[in-house]
Amino acid sequence: MKPVEFDYVAPESLALALDALASDGDARPLSGGQSLVPLLNFRLAQPSLLVDLGRITELAGIRDEGGRVLLGAMVRQQDVLESELIRERCPLLQEAIRHVGHPQIRSRGTVGGSVAHADPAAEIPAAVLALGGAIHVVGKVGRRRVEANDFLRGAFTTMLQGGEIVAAIEVPTRRPRSGCACVEVARRAGDYAVCGAAAEIALDQDRTIAAVSVALFGVSDRAVLVCECEGDLVGSDGADVDIEAAALSAARAAHGRDDINGSAEYRRHLAGVVTRRALVRAVERANERMVT
Amino acid sequence: MSLHSISLTVNGTKYTREVPSRLTLADFLRESLDLTGTHLGCEHGVCGVCTILVNGRLARSCLMLAVQADAVEIRTIEGIGSEGMLHPVQTAFWQRHGTQCGFCTAGFVITAVELFERENSPTRDEVLDALGGVLCRCTGYVKIVEAVDEALESRRDTPGTATEPGEPNVR
Amino acid sequence: MSGEPRKLVGRRVPRKEDKRLLLGHAQYVADIKLPGMMHASLVRSPYAHARITAVDTGACSDDARVAAVLTGEDVRHVPPLPSADAEPTAKQFLQPILATDKVRYVGEPIAIVVATDRYVAEDVATLVRVDYDVLPAVVSPADALAADASILHFDSNVADVWRFSVGDRERLKYAPHRLRRSFKTQRFAGTPLETRGVIADWDQARERLTVYTSTQVPHFVRDIVAAYLNLPQSAVRVVAPDVGGAFGAKIQPYNEDILIALLALQLKRPVKWIEDRYEHFVASNHGREQIHDIEVAYDDDGVIRGLSDDIITNAGAYLQAFTFADASCAVLTVRGPYRIPVFEASATTVVSNKTPLNPFRGVGMAQAAFAIERTMDEIARERGLDPIDVRLKNLLGSAELPIDREVPMTFQGSVIDSGDYAPALLRAKELIDYSVFREQQARLRTAGRYLGIGFGAYIEKTALGPFEASSVSVDTSGTVTVLSGAGPSGQGTDTTLSQIVADELGVPIEDIRVIHGDTDRVPYGVGTYGSRMAAVGGTAVRLTGRKVREKAISIAAELLEASDADLELVDGKAIVRGSPSHFVSLGDIARAVMPGSPLPAGVTEYGLGASEVFVPAAEAFAFGTVAATVEVDMETGVVTPLRLVMVGDSGTIINPLLVEGQYQGGLSLGVGGALLEELVYDDQGQPVSCNFMDYLMPQVDSIPEIILDHTITASPLNPDGIKGAGESGAIAPPAAIANAVSDALSPFGISINETPITPSKVYDLLLEAGLLRRSGDAGSAVEDGRDARG
Repeated sequence: MKPVEFDYVAPESLALALDALASDGDARPLSGGQSLVPLLNFRLAQPSLLVDLGRITELAGIRDEGGRVLLGAMVRQQDVLESELIRERCPLLQEAIRHVGHPQIRSRGTVGGSVAHADPAAEIPAAVLALGGAIHVVGKVGRRRVEANDFLRGAFTTMLQGGEIVAAIEVPTRRPRSGCACVEVARRAGDYAVCGAAAEIALDQDRTIAAVSVALFGVSDRAVLVCECEGDLVGSDGADVDIEAAALSAARAAHGRDDINGSAEYRRHLAGVVTRRALVRAVERANERMVT
Repeated sequence: MSLHSISLTVNGTKYTREVPSRLTLADFLRESLDLTGTHLGCEHGVCGVCTILVNGRLARSCLMLAVQADAVEIRTIEGIGSEGMLHPVQTAFWQRHGTQCGFCTAGFVITAVELFERENSPTRDEVLDALGGVLCRCTGYVKIVEAVDEALESRRDTPGTATEPGEPNVR
Repeated sequence: MSGEPRKLVGRRVPRKEDKRLLLGHAQYVADIKLPGMMHASLVRSPYAHARITAVDTGACSDDARVAAVLTGEDVRHVPPLPSADAEPTAKQFLQPILATDKVRYVGEPIAIVVATDRYVAEDVATLVRVDYDVLPAVVSPADALAADASILHFDSNVADVWRFSVGDRERLKYAPHRLRRSFKTQRFAGTPLETRGVIADWDQARERLTVYTSTQVPHFVRDIVAAYLNLPQSAVRVVAPDVGGAFGAKIQPYNEDILIALLALQLKRPVKWIEDRYEHFVASNHGREQIHDIEVAYDDDGVIRGLSDDIITNAGAYLQAFTFADASCAVLTVRGPYRIPVFEASATTVVSNKTPLNPFRGVGMAQAAFAIERTMDEIARERGLDPIDVRLKNLLGSAELPIDREVPMTFQGSVIDSGDYAPALLRAKELIDYSVFREQQARLRTAGRYLGIGFGAYIEKTALGPFEASSVSVDTSGTVTVLSGAGPSGQGTDTTLSQIVADELGVPIEDIRVIHGDTDRVPYGVGTYGSRMAAVGGTAVRLTGRKVREKAISIAAELLEASDADLELVDGKAIVRGSPSHFVSLGDIARAVMPGSPLPAGVTEYGLGASEVFVPAAEAFAFGTVAATVEVDMETGVVTPLRLVMVGDSGTIINPLLVEGQYQGGLSLGVGGALLEELVYDDQGQPVSCNFMDYLMPQVDSIPEIILDHTITASPLNPDGIKGAGESGAIAPPAAIANAVSDALSPFGISINETPITPSKVYDLLLEAGLLRRSGDAGSAVEDGRDARG
């Protein structure tokens, strides 16, 4: 199908973009377009004005800020995948993006757009969540910083108020002796996950687990942190029985959802499976890192 | 309804046109520029037959608006090879029978050309990941993969482009 | 031996038709632009079942952007879409061109509007106001047959019931074993990458209508459009330009073909409609949905004494041109390549509030193969026998063929012409490394990994009649023109037919032009479906080419003063054998028989050409075996296909390269059917998977390693011995893969009796078998939030 009529602007400054968004209640920001344009083509989205964020330099670029990395909202997913800095400092983001679509999607899709779109089965919001990241939001009233956990509210629903956009994604630099993994069950390569887990483990000098972070996606109406895993794993040497316990915690905590790919019950079951597989791989990689 | 002026280069030729905001890039190429080689299979962003190169990167033209194409360089299937001289990718598709109905062909050829033109040889995973972004109902993909492999092999034999097979591509 | 030039038939010739496809110069309907052309958009029902209480186009009449609008009232006089084989009682099930009193499926067309471009046409389509009285939806066959079922049409939801039996039931009385199973095949959408589309152009001055349509059957479309518009056939030209895949979705004239033609006549301007992808999922015919309730009686050693099959086909809301094919082909092929001396079947076709059903690649045969091949494995499991041995015991031997299956059917024969089934099965067993696999399977089971292997033997009705037409002519430049009634959509018709003609006339393949898909150029034709192009279209061309060859030689004999027997056609010339300087070119032969000069002695007609209509005596039956190995992830339910082997027998093969492509394409469609694809409807009759995110087409990673091989059992039904290959790959994969998954899970007594085999369904089976712990019950289900706020 073809989109309805709308106006279009592509401002070169953030201020002008925010003015445009504030000026019209039915204005929508356009970032990568990989989620929004299909909705336009289905006529499921009928904005009166599209504000293209693609020319705004403040929203571009990956910045190294020592203890954290700041990714401008318009950074393309493919660029994150190819970034040496990200590989070094927050590789879980790359692990997650490997599962996102195909290069044709990732060359245009953006990290900010993915987080703002908040598809329950999307990998990037979950990775940001698991990394303990934060979303920098900007609107006419000003900037604010929102913890990822607070930002995601529900299916396609975030803390963004009218006229606000995601300006940047902030992720902390990984701990030393850490390993990460993103495991998902999907019907085909690149599809949204039926259920997935993004996990990061950090080891102490003695190879026991110092910290763990697991975020599930696809199982519920949004990416969720499984805080319960910490109790099962911190202090453990990563033995199977502990990881199994963490997986069970994840399955129990999950609120499943029904759709044509599976029931809530099935998804809760998968939550345990993907959590376990992600943790096993994360522990493996953390140990490998210690060797090298 | 707003009209916007865009200036862009398509297959080496510069065009300046006025376009409505909602005109998709795919429709612009097909209807305004008569470059009908890029096809529309879904407009959902899944089938990939509309794949083109935008500033050297793969893009689904059904998911871009024409207005977004101001000051960009686009390559479509019409800019790949010619009657007298097929691109090695096209030759491989022809010899290997990688084309049946032809409707997805532009999507695969453009995708394969992008792989072919990378400075470092793409890994197997990268090839399959890229090809996974285009759907075909006719071939079962077997001969498409064979054609792409053959084209990439032939490139490897060209002096000056050899790298270790399997080396990840980092730009 | 004199240097006989190498024949092209049998060789892997790369296709002639590819350059323009590779360079982006092909022309599909969507690519065609005519001066003054306008665009149409349809208003379609959002409800599965409803009475239409009002259609108000007032806003359209007031809107300057609307060039035309048609509703059901405007086209009441136009006959409903035609259906073959429909009993008079089935007339109530025929589809009106536009709905009038009722809508019976989501997507049913109600009105059509025309504007300057498609964007605007979609805008103004929203101006048509329709009021509905929603009725209860009939979705499943059980719904359709229920005593208090909502009736879609006049008095019944049963469009047809057909019973058939052969053999003596008495022989089953003391059969030691019986088993009953129910097998379900899901509903498919055809999903060629090119959706449908049609452009109609009325030339007022010449009083001629030209219709460009993406179709498999140009002549059928021409006949119906002419009849429905009250135009003489010679006033209507139908052109199938490049067609981007079909698979059955383009096998008939549709409402839109008629409507666009009517609008072109009304507006006296070209009108275009291109189906978009969402529309395709509801507006183009679906495939397959069918249940087989099997009961089989068999001996201790697995030999089948008798089979009964109660088949229910869910035809959707209306009968289409060939809706009964799923039932009839299923009845014909459910005995597979097996003896099965006693057989009875009932085939019930019901209507429901879904998109209408029509043939889809492997029509009826895939569902039947699923039923019989799963049955074979169930018998093997019950008796502790090897599934290949059970098959071998039941397979017909080649000496038992031809065999008449005694199924009376119009348009179709039921004599299996030839076949040799065991070698194909055994070759598949070899290629899939059966014994090695069994060892591996046993070893991995002890490590908690579950792999399985399955086979699907199939027979395939091909080379469908009723006829195919062709002409071959040579012009004075020596160029050969071939006209064929074929309606290709990627099969490589041009190349295949050129190979045949090149062999007959000794002409280089580049000097042959093949014309098809144009009813002005090709007077008669049937089209491309039913795996018939090479066997029937190719035979027509072979016979025609032979006639032209004989003419050319006899004319050349006169010109060269030689005898016919001394001449051969090589390289575009007639040459006296052994005396290469003694020749005349084909072009000059043609010139010698042009009107305007006296004909050579002994020649009675002008022109170097001939026409033929080949009427096959019966259908040819291709066959083969598909073998599949899979691994089942016991935690997630995901089935990963590891390897697919197909040993196919399509008789004589004209171009092995192209046949491989057909087999591989069919196999991938089969994998889609086994594991991924389903047109899901909810209980309100709303289609739930009608976009490419939810209707899962196989991607490159969905297809495992494929190994192909052939056996060749020539068909006695045409001179080359050709059988069809177009549907071969699509028939058996669901059977083979379901058998493989059942085999993987046989230690737990799990059987797979429906497709698609989704991870979620496997999970349910594993849970039922007590293999999985139920996940914690904390946490409630959350509604799927796929809403519009993205």
